[in-house]
Amino acid sequence: MMIGNRKIWSSAVAACCLVVLADRPARADLLDDITQAKKIRISTDLAIPPSGMMDSSMKPTGSDVEVAQLLAKDWGLELEFIQTTGATRIPNVQTGKADIIISTLSVTPERAKVIDFTKKYATLQSDIGCLKSLNVKDWPDLKDKTVGVSRGTTQDTMLSNMKDKELKIARYDDDATGVTAAVSGQVDCVGSSATIINQIGIKNPARVFESKIPLASFELAIGLKKGETRLLEKLNAWVTENVKNGKLNAIYKKFHGVELPPDMRG
Amino acid sequence: MGGHLNANHLLFLGHGALWTVGLSLIALIGGGIVGFVIALARISPLKSVRLLSAAYVQLVQGTPLLVILFLGYFGLAAIGLKMSPLAAASASLTLYVAAYLGEIWRGSIQSVPKPQWEAAEGLALSRTQRMIKVILPQAMRIATPPTVGFMVQIIKNTSLASVVGFVELMRSGQIVNNSLFEPFIVYAIIAAVYFAMCYPLSLFSQKLERRMGRGSANNLSLA
Repeated sequence: MMIGNRKIWSSAVAACCLVVLADRPARADLLDDITQAKKIRISTDLAIPPSGMMDSSMKPTGSDVEVAQLLAKDWGLELEFIQTTGATRIPNVQTGKADIIISTLSVTPERAKVIDFTKKYATLQSDIGCLKSLNVKDWPDLKDKTVGVSRGTTQDTMLSNMKDKELKIARYDDDATGVTAAVSGQVDCVGSSATIINQIGIKNPARVFESKIPLASFELAIGLKKGETRLLEKLNAWVTENVKNGKLNAIYKKFHGVELPPDMRG
Repeated sequence: MGGHLNANHLLFLGHGALWTVGLSLIALIGGGIVGFVIALARISPLKSVRLLSAAYVQLVQGTPLLVILFLGYFGLAAIGLKMSPLAAASASLTLYVAAYLGEIWRGSIQSVPKPQWEAAEGLALSRTQRMIKVILPQAMRIATPPTVGFMVQIIKNTSLASVVGFVELMRSGQIVNNSLFEPFIVYAIIAAVYFAMCYPLSLFSQKLERRMGRGSANNLSLA
């Protein structure tokens, strides 16, 4: 099933784009639809800890889950999580299966062409993390080492574009698989968030990883269908307010163990 | 994040397994019915029917199931047709299975030895009678192993339905794994459950073959 998966995805996405291009302009305003239904449908991937995951009683939890719950509570709406995988987050809002995306969606110019983004509600620091005992200080030290990433993530894209650095990249299905690769010794370096890098040492105390080279800080924003101006404005106002009152920072700290950058601490 | 496998996780996996069974049943029943029609259309005396059904088979067989699912769910929604995940997955799986079963069964029907067709015709049986009384019973025996083999494949292929938001066995395993970070145990359980679904089917197929084989043991041209 793994063979040609990339190719299948790209053809699937291409096929979808063709259909999406043929879409007619939106009829009713999405904000009115949400208000009328008294329910907001939020697309969240529940398999990307610690943003979206299940707790031990299989209830959704995580920083994105709590942001979604806070939004629904503030607006007095019922919340429905639309199960999604990383790759179907955007098609979900484009085709009206979900109203908005709150799912570690980082703002990129490519994505901004097909959906609208709110202001950032969180950031995600990504690093290259390696085995603590490895002497890695800068990019040249990574030559001939394999770096594990989750396939299709922004980390994957960034590292893949660094052709001059001669990196060997191993792409895994999701963070859990990447962590296992690191725990079991398949890779000595990973490109991921600090939370995930720390998780490796917890799973196997004999192989403690630490952040070695900062990769990038991604801005995470809520995504929605293009052209829904009123909903976008209302979401922006909500984000601004909850950055100011420190609620978003508190949620982030609870799950990621670190605070948001100073300008977002309220 | 972290923690140990508990009853809730197993329950969640069990729920996913039910969806896998459900999707497989829908795919096999829906696909079986449509596939039978396709098989007959493929050997129709009318050229236009033959061509149309052949085009359908080629088109679907040349498209990955993942793409069909994607088009069924997101594609139709983009042109204004609301599809629930269940409807989209059922329709896509039915279309997909029908194309393969149709072709498997056409081959089985056509591999019933020519003398059988001629003998049936010689007995002045109508086309329908020929099919039901002479050809299909023999074709069924030929068709059993490849049909069951394909069914087993479909049970495993239902995991692709996770792209339309289905939390079936594989996806539920992924979700559990991403809260526990214990892939070995989680995927071992999933493998065991898939095996428990597929193996009885293979056993049933062997039994069926033996039973159907009895009546025609002296049919040398089939040996």
